[in-house]
Amino acid sequence: MATIEVENLSKTFGKTVAVDNVSFEAHRGRIFGLLGPNGAGKTTTIRMINYIIPQDSGKITIQGVRVSPKTQKMIGYMPEERGLYKKMKVGEQLMYLAQLKGLDASTAKKQIRYWLERFNASDWHSKVVGELSKGMSQKIQFISTIVHDPEIYIFDEPFSGLDPINSELLKEIIIELREKGKTILFSTHRMEQVEQMCDDICLFNNGKVVLTGNLRSIKKEFGKNTVLLEFQGDGTFLDELDDIRINNRSTNFAEIRILNGLNHQEILKKAMERAEIHKFQLVEPSLNEIFISTVGEDNIKNKEELQS
Amino acid sequence: MSWRQVYLVLRREYITRVKSKGFIAATILVPVGFVVLFGIGILISVWESDITFEIGVIDQTEVLAPSLEELNEERYTDYSDLAEDSLRTLVQQEQITGYIILDEEHITSDKTLELIYSGSGGIQLLNSIQSDMREVIREERLQRAEVSEDIQNIFETSVSLNSRRLTAEGEETEDDTAFFTIVGMAMGFIIFFAIFGYGGYIMRGVIEEKTNRIVEVITSSVKPIELLSGKMAGVGALAITQFGIWIIALVGLSSIAGPLASSMMSDQSAQMEAMGAPEQAEIPAFLDIPTIETSLIVYFILFFLLGYILYSSLFAAIGSAADSETDTQQLMMPVTIPIMLAYFIMFHAWRSPDSMLSVISSLVPFFSPIVMITRIAITEVPFWQIGLSMLLMVLTFVGTMWLSAKIYKVGILSYGGTASFKDIAKWIRQ
Repeated sequence: MATIEVENLSKTFGKTVAVDNVSFEAHRGRIFGLLGPNGAGKTTTIRMINYIIPQDSGKITIQGVRVSPKTQKMIGYMPEERGLYKKMKVGEQLMYLAQLKGLDASTAKKQIRYWLERFNASDWHSKVVGELSKGMSQKIQFISTIVHDPEIYIFDEPFSGLDPINSELLKEIIIELREKGKTILFSTHRMEQVEQMCDDICLFNNGKVVLTGNLRSIKKEFGKNTVLLEFQGDGTFLDELDDIRINNRSTNFAEIRILNGLNHQEILKKAMERAEIHKFQLVEPSLNEIFISTVGEDNIKNKEELQS
Repeated sequence: MSWRQVYLVLRREYITRVKSKGFIAATILVPVGFVVLFGIGILISVWESDITFEIGVIDQTEVLAPSLEELNEERYTDYSDLAEDSLRTLVQQEQITGYIILDEEHITSDKTLELIYSGSGGIQLLNSIQSDMREVIREERLQRAEVSEDIQNIFETSVSLNSRRLTAEGEETEDDTAFFTIVGMAMGFIIFFAIFGYGGYIMRGVIEEKTNRIVEVITSSVKPIELLSGKMAGVGALAITQFGIWIIALVGLSSIAGPLASSMMSDQSAQMEAMGAPEQAEIPAFLDIPTIETSLIVYFILFFLLGYILYSSLFAAIGSAADSETDTQQLMMPVTIPIMLAYFIMFHAWRSPDSMLSVISSLVPFFSPIVMITRIAITEVPFWQIGLSMLLMVLTFVGTMWLSAKIYKVGILSYGGTASFKDIAKWIRQ
């Protein structure tokens, strides 16, 4: 049974259809990536899974139970817009949030102590949050998400705004949670993070799911039709190639997606005529490329974001 | 709705606020501020009653000017030997405030007096001159009519009114209308300020949660309605705590300062009577401070709480729709207007607590907390009116709470810009 099961989910705000007939499943012991440009409906979907806003139609079940205040307690949620009460002490704040998630005071106390120690933050217990540095309060934010030891973790754009150290830390936590057999779902518009971490993905565009499934098999399906090219010299030959799409181009690098079965040897030949080739590799397309070829270049909102 | 969650929210709201420096400072400073304001008010009213001005008199009767000078030497000067033009110059040079020309006709008929003056001094100057003139002219007329001293004394008559209330049970009680008018006004004032004060607390709390971006973390554990009710209850508990402290302090202080205050009051009223202000004669009512009935205090607390819950949910809704505190002004309007109206009606109700306007507006739920309590303190309000107004407030509260919850639910999660009334209408329909 899937841990999170979303079936024909829809949500409309006024005249805008934010989420349109979306279905996907997330499983135990796996990391599920929800991706797509900003405004594609990821956050709305996540909020519905967290029972923060109601869906118009469709069905969401968490471990077989329809979403409700009860399922909220099974989830550790870190929203994109996150924060803490600035005037409260770290310990009080974590205690409050843990109790809201249904923990009793003594269990909460133990958990808080454990996690503060894990993050080398034991002596912050009586500090007021407003006095903490940004990095420190980010750590407290993670702890507040995981302190009640839920089965399911949902992170909305988890890496945005994190400093590099905390980014790495969060990545470690996520991997560790997967190893413990938890279910992790996170959303992002940064494709490379998904490639590094996710087992399963769901691609969103304009409120619709355009592609969902296992990341490896999706990539395999697309075949090895992408060329990674590193070169020295005149790069203008790239502009003369037909039936290709270039992603990630720079002065001495290009990621070339071959369309309509053009022979990759042709590309190599042309490149060699004009420049010195350092690397020529045939690979599976990047997720970014998969996304573009699935929804079509013209249908992507905020395209620049995806390429960042 | 889970009461455990509501309780957790309530407890956090209460504990973090009650421990805050702001709360402690307000608890101490608000009564001090009230006392200072009240004191300054009294001081000013005692002080400014004496203004100096100088009026030149050209007297063709030869009798009025001397009696004016006798009446108030500093105020009136006889310039009968000067021409009118010279007096005009004196006024222009600001040596005298103004001048007046008196002739025989002013005594024999009711010919209108004419004062030529620089325009400064205001209504008080005009009133004083008018009454001075009335006095000297009347005196002169009496003199000429050669009336006896007895009749002259009749004109000095002053009447005082002492009132006693007759209850339905046939008991006569001391009438403390003057005292209770002040109590009623004070209670109305306090509820007025409290609604704004604690409503503002809630509003700022909601905005703070939004700008801190914690609200989404909280709503992943708590339903918006639980969060809203917990907040209202938490701040309500805070209000009760604060009032409790004030009432205890007041009772404690008055047992010490009571005798002291009444001796000061008697000094002051003596002073006022000496200054010839007969309308101040009711001041001695302070001397034996009547006991405030327990029922009045119970009503005060009830109306305070009903007013608080009625308005506080609306303040929370405003907070949820705003993006920052400075953006709340426009959104506040629909809430501020009824409170301000109630405040102005209170001034009317305080003079005539049983007028049609007072009765009807004290039954309007948004006005009741302020207008009704003023009426209850001052007059005998039939129980059906009190009951009806409370019932209507409870019913209205159900409505405002429903409305606020709808706005709040959407508002707390919408970032980036303050909502317009159009947006809010859309949220309600959703």
